[in-house]
Amino acid sequence: MSYKITFDETKCVACGACAIACMDQNDILVEEGQFPLRRTFTRESRLHPEEKFGYYSHACEHCDEAPCIPACPSGCLFKDPETGFTVFDTTNCIGCRSCAFACPHGAPAMGLDGKMLKCDGCNQRVKAGMLPACVAVCPFDALALVEE
Amino acid sequence: MKKTAIIGFGCAGYHALRAMRENGYEGEIHVYADVSHPPANPMLTTYYVAGRIPYEGMFPFGSLADLVREYPATLHMDTAVSRLDTSNRRVILSDKTKEDYDQILIATGARAVSPALGKGGGNRRFVMRTAQDAQRLKKLLDEDNVSSAVVVGASMVGIKVVELLYDRGISVILTDLAPRMFPLACMEETAQEIRLDLERRGIVTMLGSGVDKVEEYEQGIFTYLTDGRVLESDLLVLCMGTRANVELVANTHIIRKEPVKVNRGIVADTHMQTTIPGIYAAGDCCEGLNIQTGTTALIGLWANAAEQGRVAGINLADGSAAYDGSLPSNITHYFDVDFVGVGDPDIPGQRHVFHNSTGTYALTEQEGRISCINLLGSYRSSGMLRQALMKIIAGKDPEFGPDRWGLLLASGVPEEFLKLMGGLL
Repeated sequence: MSYKITFDETKCVACGACAIACMDQNDILVEEGQFPLRRTFTRESRLHPEEKFGYYSHACEHCDEAPCIPACPSGCLFKDPETGFTVFDTTNCIGCRSCAFACPHGAPAMGLDGKMLKCDGCNQRVKAGMLPACVAVCPFDALALVEE
Repeated sequence: MKKTAIIGFGCAGYHALRAMRENGYEGEIHVYADVSHPPANPMLTTYYVAGRIPYEGMFPFGSLADLVREYPATLHMDTAVSRLDTSNRRVILSDKTKEDYDQILIATGARAVSPALGKGGGNRRFVMRTAQDAQRLKKLLDEDNVSSAVVVGASMVGIKVVELLYDRGISVILTDLAPRMFPLACMEETAQEIRLDLERRGIVTMLGSGVDKVEEYEQGIFTYLTDGRVLESDLLVLCMGTRANVELVANTHIIRKEPVKVNRGIVADTHMQTTIPGIYAAGDCCEGLNIQTGTTALIGLWANAAEQGRVAGINLADGSAAYDGSLPSNITHYFDVDFVGVGDPDIPGQRHVFHNSTGTYALTEQEGRISCINLLGSYRSSGMLRQALMKIIAGKDPEFGPDRWGLLLASGVPEEFLKLMGGLL
């Protein structure tokens, strides 16, 4: 079994509830300079004015062949066999940023302790039969948990 | 039953073993390694010396017992292979024992360059590559009263050695024959910023001058530079790069006049097979495809070794996999600085350098083609930009879609920088 969190930009209204829920779930200390593990942003297109604005919500894509896993020199990243999410144990993380360098989606960041931090798909919530926090609060179902 | 030999048990050897078992290979696998410990990551040695990880932390795949339980193999540890008899498909061990194989992977890695530079017993001279190197340096630093050090090599390893010595309050001089910091990854502009930052911290840099000789005495060591300067310190750490361990394959010329092509490393095709069928090579001993030049090259990176080992393992298991190639790519974090270099900084072209609150962003461009990027101060966009540059070099669209564009901007990348890389507006 493998889960993914999908995003439908046509349903997004840029409310930012997903990022707030992520901060709450993961105890992100924004006032100390941390960012939520899910980032929201707006893009204005100049080449295609008819598109006007696009709203986006972005976090780890939990790639099937996640390049961050073999790139980690300390073996901190791995797949949860139950959910398929790319999860981590940063006991031996050295904060080298190799995971961020390998990720084509800009997902891994560093926590206040200098160790890697990224979206784990709310792995424990999903294992307990719950939705990821960002999916649970999305008011227009732009975010969804899908089983592959 | 088919019998596979894997010579060397580092990152590439481990990933080959794993890929073979995960892809249904049921034959025998014999792993030969001239060390007794599990696969180690050379990059972690400086972190162990710095006290950031325990000794076991240098072995990211766990214990040998755990590895063999998960991926069955016969391990021949502390066993050096001295030669290959390719005619009879045998490995010849250092004790003259001969063992048969049907197919073989050479994953012998690389060793630290350590030239003979003069007098002394070597007690105050160090390199930094293996777990043993790290233990040796850590022991001296923990037990001796070290107050000064010379580090030779303004490289990714050298800077981490400088950092760990500096953090212990040791006065450090950094030297390199090259005239700039990180010469294989860094453009002149970013190299100068890095050097000035080190100098501001009190680290003396002497670039553009090689080491002529060293003289060791009981309490210290003299380092003679080629420009005539003489440095006296408590210890000397040589971080002058690595040399691929190709001798095993090079020796096959002697046994059988069939060429295994060896340049600076063992040349492998995209299936990680050498010029002799049935002999594969992967990891730091091996030249794989450099997508920037279209030729094979040594690009000694942990992730490359993992991928090359995986590809070799799948093919050894009668599967079909190809190595897509790579290009020189480095990221390092030292003190509070992030440096990223992707591509060859020596390819000529126009330099574009941008500064903002998140850091410095530099690229080399010629006739619309980007050949190198440097980031200084920010790592968050590094993976996205590296991926984009690899696509550009491969002649593909960097695929800066709207979401990627927004993410890069949100990560602090200047809009002008993205425009030069071919992003949408």
